[in-house]
Amino acid sequence: MADVPVNFFHRQSHMTDETISTERSRRGFFAGASAQIGLFAIVALLWVIFSTLAPGFTSPINLFGIGRSLAVDIVIGFSQMVVLATGGMNLAVGSIGVCAVMLTGFLLQDAGMPIPVALAGGLLLGGALGWLNGFAIVKTGVNAFIITLASASLFLGAMLILSKAVPYNTLPPEVGQFGRMRIWGYVSPLLFIAIAIGAALYVLYRHTLLGRQILAAGANPRAAEMSGVPVGRVIIISHTLSGLLAATAGIMLVARLGAAMPSVGGEDWLLPSFLGPVLGGTLLAGGSVAVIGTMIGAALVTTIRSGLLVLQVGNFWLQLFLGLILLAAVMADRYRGVFLERRSLGRK
Amino acid sequence: MNSLLRRFLMVEWSGILAAIILGSALLAWLSPAFLTEFNIYVMLRSFCVALLVGFAQMVTLAVGQMNISVGALGGLVAVLAGGMMEKLGVPMILAIPAAIAIGALCGLLNGVLTERTGINGFIITLATASAFTGINLGITQSIPFYNMPPGLVAFGSDRFFAFPYLMIAPIIATILLGLFLSRTVPGRHLLAVGGNPHAAELSGISRGRITILAHTLSGTLAACAAILAVAQLGSAQPTIGSDWLLLSFAAPIIGGAALTGGHVSVLGTTLAVILIALIENGMVLAKVDPYWVQFVLGALILAAVWLNRWRAVKTGTD
Amino acid sequence: MQLSIEGVSKAFPGVQALDKVSFELRPGEIQALMGENGAGKSTLIKIITGLYRPDDGRVMIDGQEMSFQSPRDAIAAGIGAVHQERNLIPRFSVGENILLERLPTRNGLLDKDAIHNEARRYLDLLDRGIDTHTEVRSLSVAQMQIVEIAKALSLETKCLLMDEPTASITEHETEALFTLLKRLRDEGASIVFVSHKLEEVFAIADRVTVLRDGKNAALGEPMSTMTRQNLISLMVGREEHIVNKPQRSVDTGVVLEARGLQTSFGHRDISFSLKRGEILGLYGLVGAGRSELARAIVGAAPITGGEVLVNGKTADIRNVHQALNQFRIGYISEDRKNEGLILTHTIRENIAVTIWRRLAGALGLIRPSAELDAVMPYVERLEIRTPSVEQKVGNLSGGNQQKVSVAKWLAANVEILIIDEPTVGIDIKTKAYLHELIHEIAAGGTSVLLISSDMPEMVALADRILVMHDMRLVGEVANDRRYETVSNAIMNRIHAVEEERSTATAG
Repeated sequence: MADVPVNFFHRQSHMTDETISTERSRRGFFAGASAQIGLFAIVALLWVIFSTLAPGFTSPINLFGIGRSLAVDIVIGFSQMVVLATGGMNLAVGSIGVCAVMLTGFLLQDAGMPIPVALAGGLLLGGALGWLNGFAIVKTGVNAFIITLASASLFLGAMLILSKAVPYNTLPPEVGQFGRMRIWGYVSPLLFIAIAIGAALYVLYRHTLLGRQILAAGANPRAAEMSGVPVGRVIIISHTLSGLLAATAGIMLVARLGAAMPSVGGEDWLLPSFLGPVLGGTLLAGGSVAVIGTMIGAALVTTIRSGLLVLQVGNFWLQLFLGLILLAAVMADRYRGVFLERRSLGRK
Repeated sequence: MNSLLRRFLMVEWSGILAAIILGSALLAWLSPAFLTEFNIYVMLRSFCVALLVGFAQMVTLAVGQMNISVGALGGLVAVLAGGMMEKLGVPMILAIPAAIAIGALCGLLNGVLTERTGINGFIITLATASAFTGINLGITQSIPFYNMPPGLVAFGSDRFFAFPYLMIAPIIATILLGLFLSRTVPGRHLLAVGGNPHAAELSGISRGRITILAHTLSGTLAACAAILAVAQLGSAQPTIGSDWLLLSFAAPIIGGAALTGGHVSVLGTTLAVILIALIENGMVLAKVDPYWVQFVLGALILAAVWLNRWRAVKTGTD
Repeated sequence: MQLSIEGVSKAFPGVQALDKVSFELRPGEIQALMGENGAGKSTLIKIITGLYRPDDGRVMIDGQEMSFQSPRDAIAAGIGAVHQERNLIPRFSVGENILLERLPTRNGLLDKDAIHNEARRYLDLLDRGIDTHTEVRSLSVAQMQIVEIAKALSLETKCLLMDEPTASITEHETEALFTLLKRLRDEGASIVFVSHKLEEVFAIADRVTVLRDGKNAALGEPMSTMTRQNLISLMVGREEHIVNKPQRSVDTGVVLEARGLQTSFGHRDISFSLKRGEILGLYGLVGAGRSELARAIVGAAPITGGEVLVNGKTADIRNVHQALNQFRIGYISEDRKNEGLILTHTIRENIAVTIWRRLAGALGLIRPSAELDAVMPYVERLEIRTPSVEQKVGNLSGGNQQKVSVAKWLAANVEILIIDEPTVGIDIKTKAYLHELIHEIAAGGTSVLLISSDMPEMVALADRILVMHDMRLVGEVANDRRYETVSNAIMNRIHAVEEERSTATAG
């Protein structure tokens, strides 16, 4: 064949329309960008609607309340997102969260530890429980769903046995004061913590070795393993991170409530933990994350919850709305072709 | 001896059976209350709802799917049945079939959504679970329907010596489900799709229709469980089903179901539910913290998963 | 049944799998369908069996245009098939598997006796030794294959598609199958027979259709007019494309050595050595255990005995991560879609995956510009055709995907590179590129273990050739670049081993 060059890699590359452009396409990492803009528009629309129907919706006190719950919802969403990135899931986020809550409460009230130590203890427990999940998943090769379903029950059971389900109500006043603190009259410092975590996660997935390895392992574990990515380690780290974030969300709740209650968390976190990431465009199949999307997704959930409350529709219909929104979101996504493309690519 | 033990362990439900025998012996020895007629009746009664809940999840696992909405669906069916009977005055004989039909429709909805959209069944049923719960709470405002027909309440509490009449339903369900899965064409096709979806499709089996069938069946079974729960409690509580999720997976998985689909055991699931009922009963008798049940159930699932794994490695299958 | 395919095309993201392909099958004939891996045979079969819908063209049965929506429709239209992949339900009995979609019932319940009697009838045509009550998962691979064939036969269709039905069965069973197929043909059935084994095709087929790169290279030619040689050249068209590289003698130190390796796949007593800058060929038929050996060496599968030495030191390699970072060994997998590439990731990420560790600075941060700088030379050097490195790999053509798969291991800058079937299913131009590249890599001092079942490729590139058969190394052949002598020497080794074994089992 005449057109096959003999020593082709010392040739000059011809610039044709087919050659490489180094221009950075926004499509990779920002795959869900259009979805996020749509989501953001929906949230904005809801704000307009709610504030028109109920003027109390934008009162400083309500804004402060929304911000506080938003902060917790965002971090709960993150704790699920970091395992969704690996193609797994963590049904134990709520259990881990409440375990961390109760340990923190115990350390503060019964053990009389200083606040930083107690916080560290709670976070450490969350990370450790997450690590246990990851370890069990990697070592047994059983899917994350069933392991974390079982461990959720195990952790929650152990916590209830040890704490006898008695809340810690007399925490040092600083805890509650932090939760009630308002910046500029209506912003909770908790929101800044959530945003800071979001920024850190953004950098993790966008710019670090570990983040890249997590996404590679999530998209195609076999190919990642065969390319030298330590997939098992990466999965364990992701679950540890998930536990740590769940504990963070739990501790934020302690600050918000000014007490450590055994009734927070548990199964109540399950739906919100998936809502944020999935609405925001994180694929359940793994290999992608949408940090900003998760935050907007959480905002949607918080907005609806607060709006229904202000409109006095009652919390009872909230569940129905959330379910329908989740359905609508995944189906809209499906018909935009993201899932379709994934499926056709994933097929042999 | 070792090889005998090994062969025993290879039978999927062997471990559960051994645990049941050992546990019963231990309880009989430790607590004189255990073998009384009333205690056995209490245990058998608690077994009824749990078994149907386990079956409801088992049929979705069989086809390689899952149904997060079993509990929510059950709760909705329970309050709809209760509402129809109390508020609308619909006779029991119509209200119960109607409520079960609604459960089947909800299952059908799960199946159609999963199949037509191609989205992961987990997320679909998580969403519908939330929607079902929402409708339930929206209708009842969390207030139970207390005035149930006396016939239904009697069915839920009367007994023949230690045998609760309530148990007739799960016995019939077990036989029908066993026959369905082992001896009927749709039942075999359901397991075929779970065992190797691609092969089933190439053999001319409609994968979509079978998946929808499994979800519909799951909804029907969950609805039956809900009706039994109403009969047992004597009122239609909106909280019915709220604690079914873990149980629904625990029973079939402890009973040896393959998480990847295609293999479930009606007998294993039944034994698993007996074991769970026994444990709960033992804890009540021993006056242990009720929270232990939750802990032990989680541990049991992990142990079962680990045992299945070990068995698969040993036999070199799966 | 008269089956005609007219001008059928089918495209997948990045690949034109079939390009206006035709095929015509008459009643009472056995027609061979041949082509290299990736030539489009499987796609064509999947269209005939209703699994894929063609983008263009017509499928006709007895002059009537068909539009299959699913395998169900194809079966209903009278097309039975033995597919290449295993299509049995592991936990079902042999009998149930054979009659899966039309299980006989009595009073609404399965009629177990009828199932087993019915299944028995078809199974007896091939093998009396398999019990219809056995669960399929406890059968051997060969037995499963027999069950698959019995299952296709049981449809009693006038048209049978057999995609490599003999891949895993014994010679004896193959003979029984052939007798049966000939009888069915004489009774008027139309049979499509797909096989890589030339002897079989010559033994059984009446006519042959050859596909190459998704196009017809031959359409229904009578076998009587074919010789082995022109059948091969129709399939590969390769003589004119493969350029032999100059012969080299590599006389350097040993970088990789295997001593008496054993694996759980069944490898026994594998010993060889690879020198610096050498291209060591590892030839063997499909199933000889070459890829499995490679996987064991890079730590992706367990080694159960013997040892691997890297640069003279015993190396206990437990995973690819270690192989890459500690021992500088890379493995370019033949299974590009599942193991080689992350299709949903970009070209940039796919190439950089092996070097992220190297690129990461303080706190594990990776600078995007550094990543791009590291990746671009390889994209340019391999001339990967794409509008942007941010393109998802899944959208590239097969040839460009393979280039990405190679590029990431070039970027890794390993000392030892195991390359597994580098040119399967890719276009001829890319193939020539890759041959050139492999030669250059070795000239640059990288040691290459080249796995290929493409004989001309082996002869063109390798310095020495190891012959593997049935999980053992059965010989080493010096490569003097003379195709006839080298290929004969290799095939003789394999045949000798086969003969030894059959005399051993006979005696």
